Amino acid sequence: MRPYRRRRIENLVAISLCTLSAAIGLFWLFFILIDVVIEGVGALNLALFLEDPVPAGLEGGGLRNAFVGQLLLTLVAALLGVPVGLLGGTFLAEYGRGSRIGHIISLLSDIMTSVPSIVIGTFAYAVLVKPFGHFNGWAGSFALALIMIPIIIRTTEEMLKLVPWELREAAFALGASYYRVILSIVYRGAAPGILTGILLSIARVAGETAPLLFTSFNNTFFSVDMNEPVPSLTVTVFQYAMGPYENWHAQAWAASLVITLFILIITLLGRFIIFRRYGKWKTL
Amino acid sequence: MEDIVIDVQGLSFYYAGNIRALKDISLSIQANTVTAFIGPSGCGKTTFLRCLNRMHDLYSGNRYEGRILIDGRNILDKDVDLIELRSKIGMVFQKPTPFPMSIFENIAFGLRLIGIKNRTEISERVEKALKDAALWDETRDRLHKSAYSLSGGQQQRLCIARAIAVKPEIVLMDEPCSALDPIATGKIEDLITELKQDYTVIIVTHNMQQAARVSDYTAFFMMGELVEYDRTERIFTNPSNKLTEDYITGRFG
Repeated sequence: MRPYRRRRIENLVAISLCTLSAAIGLFWLFFILIDVVIEGVGALNLALFLEDPVPAGLEGGGLRNAFVGQLLLTLVAALLGVPVGLLGGTFLAEYGRGSRIGHIISLLSDIMTSVPSIVIGTFAYAVLVKPFGHFNGWAGSFALALIMIPIIIRTTEEMLKLVPWELREAAFALGASYYRVILSIVYRGAAPGILTGILLSIARVAGETAPLLFTSFNNTFFSVDMNEPVPSLTVTVFQYAMGPYENWHAQAWAASLVITLFILIITLLGRFIIFRRYGKWKTL
Repeated sequence: MEDIVIDVQGLSFYYAGNIRALKDISLSIQANTVTAFIGPSGCGKTTFLRCLNRMHDLYSGNRYEGRILIDGRNILDKDVDLIELRSKIGMVFQKPTPFPMSIFENIAFGLRLIGIKNRTEISERVEKALKDAALWDETRDRLHKSAYSLSGGQQQRLCIARAIAVKPEIVLMDEPCSALDPIATGKIEDLITELKQDYTVIIVTHNMQQAARVSDYTAFFMMGELVEYDRTERIFTNPSNKLTEDYITGRFG
């Protein structure tokens, strides 16, 4: 009986340690989330979405400019990043499959996903802000696109690799050219996964502040001119939270809640697409 | 020896790294017959089959030697248009390979590839192909459902329908029944017998009874060499080579 008892105790200790660690992690996550919800919900009101900021120190006003600016920056970033990421991932999984250059690009993408976003912001500053002498929206979107591209490249590559080779061979055997095989067969098979990768990359950049700080900066006025500084929620949250005014703090909480919910919804949507499609797709 | 569709002369094949997989194969295949390739695993029968539509060209480093004449033209020539070649030679794979689209679209895909754009013509040819593949009655009400909703045997018949819809001359089958149950296998075998009226069929199989049931000619391969090639009944009743006899009677392999 003795050796078994020892094993049971070891097992119990291991399980306890794992559970405790998980609990510590989850505690802070929930602490932050609950705090954001409690503080944010109280500050949510219609004016937040419909009105622009009022001069500092005055009561009222909203963050309409920042919501619109954030959407604009993200949309332009997606327009820049998605085609490059998609085609890059296609190169890695198809044309460059097994080649040395393919491995190098794949590895670099992995490294790029973990580069601190402030570094990317600085880079965008150097190439798109400094030469023009002022902050502008293009630089912000460019920085966000640079963050999106490696994520999309890698998810696209992985998703295309999941499409069985036999399927490509079957299409080749019918006399299809490679681009036709990719467009009609491979993309179609991998579409849900690729879409999820794109959504997750959008969710990732939606919460970024650092790359926007020295690129699109911020703007207290409503502006959709990409050649000028463009307001964004994240930078606004950063500035308002640091500010001295009580109503700024409230609006920063509300904006944080909206960003968090946006990211949550995008992420859930991505998961949902994967779940729905791949549940059925297992027969392949 | 009239009506020879495929005439292979001294074919050797090397995989990347100069690994010789086929050694000096010569044989000719007649039109409107079913030819079975048999032999132990790794003997080169699938490799040979995949030479006939140059599937090996998809992977770099592979090399052919010798000649494969199809309708008198050497398909190993450098200037052969692979797209044209492959639309003349259909192929069915070991595992069913339906495309991620509807049953109808699976067949229409091949038709569009050969340049058919007229919708009525596409519909007619899809129906014809499904009828020829004995799948029409099971699918007529669900043509626009996903091809993955079909059973394994139905998926394989769909792949056969897809291959014959473009009216190839030759249909290559690489162990088409190995993933199927006996009933589905029976249906495919009946289909193969039907197909030879219009096509020349070559089938790789591990199943000796299947070779005996469906084929007119049988080629026995071993270690990359063609050991014996003759009429099927002769191979199975009175083979001239001791190796063939040993293999067929189950003494090895």
